[in-house]
Amino acid sequence: MDDDQGCPRCKTTKYRNPSLKLMVNVCGHTLCESCVELLFVRGSGNCQECNTPLRKSNFRVQLFEDPTVDKEVEIRKKVLKVYNKREEDFPSLCEYNDFLEEVEDIVYNMTNNVDLENTKRRMEQYQRDNKEVIYKNKIKLTREQDELEEALELERQENEQRRLRLLKEEQMQQLAKKKNKQALLDELESSQLPASMLLAQHKDRTAQLESQLETQRQVKSVTFSTGIKMGQQISLQPPPKIEEALYVYQPMQVETYGPKVPEFELLGRLGYLNHVRAATPQDLAGGYSSSLACYRALQDAFSGLFWQPS
Amino acid sequence: MYHNSTQKKCWTFHNEEELETMRTEANQTFRAKLFGSGKFPPNDSTHLLEPHEEEVLRKYYEKRLLDFCNAFKLVMPKSVVGTASMFFKRFYLNNSLMEYHPRTIMLTCVYLACKVDEFNVSSSQFVSNLWDSPAGQEKALEQILEYELLLIQQLNFHLIVHNPFRPFEGFLIDLKARYSALENPEVLRKMADEFLNRGTMTDAGLLFPPSLIAITAIHSSASRAGINMDGYLMESLLLRDDRDCLSRLVEAIRCIKTLVKKYDPPKPDEVNLLKQKLERFHSLDLGFSTNLKRKKGYEEDGIISKKTKMEEEEWSDEDLADTM
Repeated sequence: MDDDQGCPRCKTTKYRNPSLKLMVNVCGHTLCESCVELLFVRGSGNCQECNTPLRKSNFRVQLFEDPTVDKEVEIRKKVLKVYNKREEDFPSLCEYNDFLEEVEDIVYNMTNNVDLENTKRRMEQYQRDNKEVIYKNKIKLTREQDELEEALELERQENEQRRLRLLKEEQMQQLAKKKNKQALLDELESSQLPASMLLAQHKDRTAQLESQLETQRQVKSVTFSTGIKMGQQISLQPPPKIEEALYVYQPMQVETYGPKVPEFELLGRLGYLNHVRAATPQDLAGGYSSSLACYRALQDAFSGLFWQPS
Repeated sequence: MYHNSTQKKCWTFHNEEELETMRTEANQTFRAKLFGSGKFPPNDSTHLLEPHEEEVLRKYYEKRLLDFCNAFKLVMPKSVVGTASMFFKRFYLNNSLMEYHPRTIMLTCVYLACKVDEFNVSSSQFVSNLWDSPAGQEKALEQILEYELLLIQQLNFHLIVHNPFRPFEGFLIDLKARYSALENPEVLRKMADEFLNRGTMTDAGLLFPPSLIAITAIHSSASRAGINMDGYLMESLLLRDDRDCLSRLVEAIRCIKTLVKKYDPPKPDEVNLLKQKLERFHSLDLGFSTNLKRKKGYEEDGIISKKTKMEEEEWSDEDLADTM
């Protein structure tokens, strides 16, 4: 598919020249890189196809198969620079949507050369009317971009530092190993001890060195995100069972030091409720019933009746 | 319920002698404190109240408390009155009248009882029952608030009082429901109410469970009307099989009856003499009752505290009497 694309002027295609670079300018017409060089030696000129005055510096590498898309992207960038209001600049979502629609209209018109003059005038008019807002939002945008870039820069620096640190550590390790080796050679050369012993010593030392590194590494990796220590052995045995007697409900025994109070539920049947004020509907709504008052009075009457301080 | 209350645990005593001992002790303790402070000439007890003198005054102020409650502009529920009276009695079991003036304590007791028994009165409404002058009311309120915490502390934070009034209603309900031998138990109400009111002025509340006082009220009212209540005790309260318990109950009823019967109001002339003595003693300003606020940092503002100290003894019972 790509192979069919070609420069309209020199008729070179991708198929014949795989390194062909197609460029596109504001008007949306394509030219290959070498033709651009050739035609715009003086920095500016007219488009081959539509005679639009163009600048060489405005040529971009064509990113999309359809050059009109590239053109639209370019135009959109330009339009949005002017129409840079945000949602918070509008009192309602509806108005914001109207604004977005207008932007789309303008972009479409400019891309497809519909009513070009009017559209341009409209844009200029808008730019004049909203100078301040445009300026303010531009500044805001730049500030936000700056912040973003700052954050990215910070992150990059951190990565760089980490990388350097790792590199340094590796170098140190290698140095230590090298030293160790050299020491062995020196000893073999100068020592009176038998070689086998020296070799054994060397082995020990290496093991030591290795284990040292190992511990260093272990220290670095502390915990998983779950809070479990890295490298920790997790016991898979079930936790010891605790044998305990189950709770058995025992009804509360209260010594009232008095005669037995009739059961709460039986107050009505025993005729007690005929002698207390009947509850009004309002009382009942609040959760009151005449049994409550009756029961309380009876409990109070019988409580401690037979009790005497002794 | 009374059976697991602090009233049963801490505030029901064995007999009248025990109460008397406690009150005498309170008197002695204060005397010792007074002499120990060095502000008072030793062995000079002409100004001091003897325990029996204190008793007369205490009875007098107990009566005053009830009068004040009954004259209250809003009708006070009986339980509030009973609670206030019990607070007063409990307070002076362990304190001497010489240390804290009974007039202030009395008002504080009523004020606290209103709160404890959920009888909603605002403080300004409360003191509006006292004096005509707003300044006097304010002063009284200040003192009430000053002594309120002391009172609560002296009551050992046991603020729930079980009064015999609800048990009395309970017995009436029970009589109506179970004791058909008595046609209309309501006839007992008037006499029993009188008995209970009279009982409030005695120490019965400190010696017997409220239910026992309530049944005594019914018993006494019935016997005056020529009705025998023994049937109720035996049949309904199932005491037929428990002779021992029955005899103890009857004995207790008899005790309360004599206790209430033997109550006699303090004699006015005796009271007047002792009141003068009490006022004289309190006007000495020995710094026992007034150091309370300084000790507790109740008044940060020195000017106000000085002013109230000066004015403290200016108002007397006569002011109180005006409104009754």
